[in-house]
Amino acid sequence: MPGVRRRARGPEEEGSMAAGAECADGDCPRQHVFLIPEYLKDASKKMKNGLMFIKLVNPCSGEGAIYLFNMCLKQLFEIKVFKEKHHSWFINESVQSGGLLHFATPMDPLFLLLHYLIKAGKEGKYQPLDQVVMDEVFPNCILLLKLPELEKLLRHVTEEKEIDNKKYYKYSKEKTLKWLEKKVSQTVAALKANHVNVGVRVQSAAFFSSDQISSDKEEDFIRYAHGLISDYIPKELSDDLSKYLKLPETSAPMPNPPSKRLKMSDEPVEAKEDYTKFNTKDLKTEKKNCKMTAAQKALAKVDKTGMKSIDAFFGVKNKKKFEKI
Amino acid sequence: MDLSELEKDNTGRSRLSSPVPAVCREEPCVLGVDEAGRGPVLGPMVYAICYCPESRLADLEALKVADSKTLSESERDRLFAKMEEDQDLVGWALDVLSPNLISTSMLGRVKYNLNSLSHDTATGLIQYALDQGVKVTQVFVDTVGLPEMYQKRLQQRFPEITVMVKAKADALYPVVSAASICAKVARDQAVKSWQFVEKLQDLDADYGSGYPNDPKTKAWLRRHVEPVFGFPQLVRFSWRTAQAILEKEAEGVTWEDSATEEQEGHRRITSYFQSEGPRARAPHRYFQERGLESATAL
Amino acid sequence: MESGDESAMEKQRVHVRPATLHDSSPATLHLLPCEVLANRFAPVGRFFTPAIRQGADGLHVSFRGRSLRGEEVSVPPGLTGYVMVTEKREGLIGKQDFRGSENNGEEAQEPLERGFDQFIGATGSFSCFTVWGLETVPGPEAKVWGALTWPTLAAAVCGPPAVHSRGDSCCRFTHRCPRTENQRASS
Repeated sequence: MPGVRRRARGPEEEGSMAAGAECADGDCPRQHVFLIPEYLKDASKKMKNGLMFIKLVNPCSGEGAIYLFNMCLKQLFEIKVFKEKHHSWFINESVQSGGLLHFATPMDPLFLLLHYLIKAGKEGKYQPLDQVVMDEVFPNCILLLKLPELEKLLRHVTEEKEIDNKKYYKYSKEKTLKWLEKKVSQTVAALKANHVNVGVRVQSAAFFSSDQISSDKEEDFIRYAHGLISDYIPKELSDDLSKYLKLPETSAPMPNPPSKRLKMSDEPVEAKEDYTKFNTKDLKTEKKNCKMTAAQKALAKVDKTGMKSIDAFFGVKNKKKFEKI
Repeated sequence: MDLSELEKDNTGRSRLSSPVPAVCREEPCVLGVDEAGRGPVLGPMVYAICYCPESRLADLEALKVADSKTLSESERDRLFAKMEEDQDLVGWALDVLSPNLISTSMLGRVKYNLNSLSHDTATGLIQYALDQGVKVTQVFVDTVGLPEMYQKRLQQRFPEITVMVKAKADALYPVVSAASICAKVARDQAVKSWQFVEKLQDLDADYGSGYPNDPKTKAWLRRHVEPVFGFPQLVRFSWRTAQAILEKEAEGVTWEDSATEEQEGHRRITSYFQSEGPRARAPHRYFQERGLESATAL
Repeated sequence: MESGDESAMEKQRVHVRPATLHDSSPATLHLLPCEVLANRFAPVGRFFTPAIRQGADGLHVSFRGRSLRGEEVSVPPGLTGYVMVTEKREGLIGKQDFRGSENNGEEAQEPLERGFDQFIGATGSFSCFTVWGLETVPGPEAKVWGALTWPTLAAAVCGPPAVHSRGDSCCRFTHRCPRTENQRASS
């Protein structure tokens, strides 16, 4: 008698896999779940190529991050990933561990260029852009130079000089802060429009009526927006921006904390300094966001696969077997 | 027995009952409670009540009802048919608790153990008889767990009724024997005519008694384990036998309330602050609250 | 990344097969409230889908003997969901796509390098999916719900000065991919 197992892998099942991945011997290649702007689909009809994932430096962390680059539309997209413990996907007739959900959203390339401009700016001289945007670790950064209207964009953050028809740039902190201030106010407006709860303490919507949300102080909005934008700029610039915005220091002890992390965002600071303010939701948030320890064997194994997956993705190794735990 | 209601949807709980004999609304009645299919790793657990007027107990005894376990399947079927003939004398009702209901109850975030599930079901059935207008004066129950505790609970719940909870009540009281027959007949029929929720057309039904120590049952479970889903919903996932097979032969699955997770919870929180290098800047709270981070790999 | 071959990896370009974005067939996705420690075939259509019940209070199903409650979630407006899979490296099929293609402008003329270029394609697309919670409907407080609001905010926080509006494709009416100066200027 054929059992469930055998039939479950029967030919008709394999046939219905058309829209999924091939799972020849039961094991599937890693499937990535993405949300991508619709217009890329329309654009894709007319382009044969030019849409690619590349690794560029994350201007906040200084480490590598994945971006989507569209040569055709000349656009850059940031990739954020929803990652919460204890999720997986069923995708058609397959299971995909991790339950990751990737978001591609258009991104202002200036944030990435700033990273290089600031670095070059330390030398204090005017330089041509192609000398500034150079990176041995992330050579794909030169693609940024192909983006449209760079000159116009650069005016927001640099002083420029033109000699012999060639443009030379120098990072300007003053201009940059002004530009970022605009981003902050733009973000404040969006936070309000989207009813984002920027209050310091309560995070759970259940305890929050819309009245309370609307009573959030302007300062809270600015601080929150500053925090968000700080995720896209180097830490030093974030501190300068905070001063520039005249953000008062929070009631929680903020000044000159010993750890870098303490400075970056108001909220975790409070949490660390005063555990009594750590409500359950906070705890949960922290817990779910932290990277895993190696303690739980099985889990660690899978997570490793997830983190290592750049190999699979970039094809260094072809991971054939998802080991059974 | 008409189990068509159950067959329509066997993922939850369904109740079946006979019409209430008119005499049971007028005369004081004895009511027996028993269960079938408590132990098996497969199929539903059935709770049954059977009741008749005190004055007619002799008629019930005359049917020669006995503990269902001492009867063959055909004898049980015959006795159940006889009770059906005596519709003006004996009434019954039963609750079929699907294996899925049992699994999800026992494996719930808040564990709902089989004893509590049993007690609550028995209570529900007695209440159902009362709601139907049956003049219940005495209740006899085959015990689940400690009889004293169970009796106390039931007695508190039904102060107007004399409750007697006993081990082996199904052998001692004909009305409990009758209930045990109803339960067993329903359980056997439910297993035999089990409508798989899953689309498994030619699944073999050679699962033996369904008891975990039956080699046939074990072999069936091993044969039908599916690496991702485990078993069809006919199987009680909460049974150790089923879990042992899953641990060995199916893919690992972890839930946020999995035991190992809870132990580790605290360590993780502290590790966030301590063990990550100084470079690790936590994302803004907006992103943390939404489980979002920059993708560093795909 | 923990690989020693770091510098090489940071050079990678993973090219999206554009055709797959509009060719991919609809995919059915469920986000589960548990980690299944495997990437593999799973008979979802036999075991899971037929067991889903629509209750007054949302969707019900069970998985591995645990009760799940679910709700349908739409992909945020303006976005499309894709399931993407990288192609195996062998052969670097599709190299020819880059040769002599007229509409990609000079940008794409850079030669492909065997070691650094790879391809990814959509195997399915979706506009909604089902989110499952353990015993309770995930509801608006679930992180994933919050995550889905990110694209709306992203434009303000880190978006380019003038975001393409939907369907505002530079490639739609022109053969080449000119800049979208006019559109940008007017917006």
